[in-house]
Amino acid sequence: MFVEYTWLVPLIPLLCFVIVGFLGKKTPEGGGYIAITGAALSCVISALVAYEFFTSAAYHDPGFVTDQVVWFSLPGGYTLHFGYYIDSLACLMMLFASFISTLIFVYSKGYMHEQGVKKRRYYAEVSLFLTGMLGLAVSSNFMEMFVFWEIMGLCSYLLIGFWSFNHPEGDDAADNAASAAKKAFLVTRLGDVSLMAGLFVLLYTFGNLDYVGIFNPHALALADPNMIILASLLIFGGVIGKSAQFPLLDWLPDAMAGPTTVSALIHAATMVKAGVYLVARCYPLFTQDPAIMLFVALIGGITAFFAATMALNNMNIKRVLAYSTLSQLGYMFLALGAGGYLMALGFKNGDHHLVIAGAAGYTAGCLHMANHAFFKALLFLGSGSVIHAVGTEDMRLMGGLRKKMKITSAAMLLGSLSIAGFPFFSGFWSKELILETVMHAGDYGTEGYLFSILWVLGIVTAFMTAFYMFRMWYMTFGGKPRHASEHCHGESPASMTAPLLILSIFAVGFGFTILFGFDSLISIGADSTHNLVVGGGEAKGFEYFTDIFESIYTYVTVALVLIAISIAYVMYNKRAFDPAKFSGEGKSVLYTALTKRWWFPQLYNQIGWKLGYGVARGVDFVDRQIIDGTVNGLSAAVAGGGEILSKGQDGDVRSYTGVVIAGIVALFIVVLAIFWYMGGI
Amino acid sequence: MIPIEAFLIFAAILFAIGAYGVLVKSNTIVVLMCIELMLNAANINFIVFSAFTTDVVGQVFVIMTITVAAAEVAVGIAILLNAYKTKGTIEADGLASMRW
Repeated sequence: MFVEYTWLVPLIPLLCFVIVGFLGKKTPEGGGYIAITGAALSCVISALVAYEFFTSAAYHDPGFVTDQVVWFSLPGGYTLHFGYYIDSLACLMMLFASFISTLIFVYSKGYMHEQGVKKRRYYAEVSLFLTGMLGLAVSSNFMEMFVFWEIMGLCSYLLIGFWSFNHPEGDDAADNAASAAKKAFLVTRLGDVSLMAGLFVLLYTFGNLDYVGIFNPHALALADPNMIILASLLIFGGVIGKSAQFPLLDWLPDAMAGPTTVSALIHAATMVKAGVYLVARCYPLFTQDPAIMLFVALIGGITAFFAATMALNNMNIKRVLAYSTLSQLGYMFLALGAGGYLMALGFKNGDHHLVIAGAAGYTAGCLHMANHAFFKALLFLGSGSVIHAVGTEDMRLMGGLRKKMKITSAAMLLGSLSIAGFPFFSGFWSKELILETVMHAGDYGTEGYLFSILWVLGIVTAFMTAFYMFRMWYMTFGGKPRHASEHCHGESPASMTAPLLILSIFAVGFGFTILFGFDSLISIGADSTHNLVVGGGEAKGFEYFTDIFESIYTYVTVALVLIAISIAYVMYNKRAFDPAKFSGEGKSVLYTALTKRWWFPQLYNQIGWKLGYGVARGVDFVDRQIIDGTVNGLSAAVAGGGEILSKGQDGDVRSYTGVVIAGIVALFIVVLAIFWYMGGI
Repeated sequence: MIPIEAFLIFAAILFAIGAYGVLVKSNTIVVLMCIELMLNAANINFIVFSAFTTDVVGQVFVIMTITVAAAEVAVGIAILLNAYKTKGTIEADGLASMRW
């Protein structure tokens, strides 16, 4: 009875957007309470829908509930629908997106308190943002998904540029919010074009865009395999843009120009998670060929590694977190890719064990996505609390805040332990499962050795993650107070610390759900009709516990994490030796490479200028010289010809008569000549 | 019997005189008269062919042409009268204001 009302989940934030947008000025807190209530209502309805779905018969067979109405028809027999598609994955997305958004909105009440009339704009936009994410999660087909996907792109642009008027100096995306917003919009747009092309290929191949129509074994078996590969790669191109993966990863650090709450929203609950969701959603499609999944895993692994390196020496508290998001998203794609690779190989060779092993990767990726949502929301909100208190984002000016901000520092510590993968914190479980799956994938197939390389990248990334997170924590909260900390006016208000406490609980404990049936809810497997559906798997429960702790590699990772934390402690808390010695006073090549973000911004600018400007110049030339030239030339010829011919019109009747008679005579002569030529009259 | 060529040559000479007059005369009254000459040259051709082929359609055409010519002269002289009132001349050289 609740599942039929799933459409309320995205509709309520949309209504909030309209109400706050039009009436926000007349309501207290610029419509903040309306936005909070809307998000909370969505969360409650999501929970009811999820509860009903998991207890219904449909959960076991066929594994989803869907209903849709005709949206519009296209010539050629294509019909596009609008509706909902509820399965375990959609439930998971709805739940954590609406829950975390509610907490972020509550937090915003304190954080955005001094924004005055701009609060109306803020709350309207974040409500629309939430609509985009929830709509995406419950969409029943690719077209509807794409609409919500674009709504999120728009909202990210609006919110990243929220403070555009406060930072007028500089034209670079790094120090100008308007440029950062533009960069985010344009870079993700590149991916969106690819996604749209993918949808066209899907529509051409399958004749519809419905999940039920595409993700069924008959349709997939009938479709042209090359078209499936093409569509998958194009769709993954959209994911690369949205989830900021290599090589489109550079917009996300610049997106830090927006308010911290928006960063939390983008990184934890919405936007970048949409890409992970889409890959998880398209598993039946992507597993048609191991090469697609190998590509997904490679992109994920490379992003995880590169993003982690860039976080190592960054001085901005929010940017460190931004890079860690990139890195963790890379882990998710690595997990989904490795799992999908095993699964695709399993389908190809008819090996059922590989399919089950692949499902573990899927579970790991989704668990990491949910875990990451909690601890990254916690970390961003914590950093927002710090920024709110000290008034700067530069960690060199912080330090020693542990005593002044007890709740924030404790919450951030829990979040850092979780993301670093400290044993028994939630990040630990998902990270170990991911690395285990990647290790496993290395043993199969001809390209398996690539996964072994990715595994090495994965544990190096785990080491770096622990290091930079604790570097951040010690620089902010440990050591002696520096310039900005001395002016700190103590802990943030309760509306900001309460969400931190709630998120701390989830950041610590959500990983344990893997021991209590998370893997049965969020797994993927073929049902009786060989249909790949999410959910309904067997729960391994505490077997994971033994699995993880019997493996020698777990201890390797844990040891690396502990070493990284100790190094960070010695370097940044005790200050036993100066970090500057490592970097050659900030002049070594590696240090420069990292601060210059491996020259990605330059690369973008070069491509943007050289390629974009070149193309623009070419187009300009064609437009001005060839098209305009043709038109102008024609008109000049007509005008000039008229000018010349008009000279003959001298107003003298007799010359006109002369021309007429001369014409007649000439005609007569021509006719005669023709008759003579033809041989007589 | 007078051969048909004689009539045709006579009509052609008449037409040529008319055309010459239109081309060289500057007095528009004379030009109008020359146009009448050309019309009548055509009429003679009609009559001649009608007589030589015993087909009366040609003679019917001549009557129509004379009617049209009468109307044309009436309109033409009215135009010249007005031109004289406004311009003070009926010389073709003086009536050249409708040019580009």
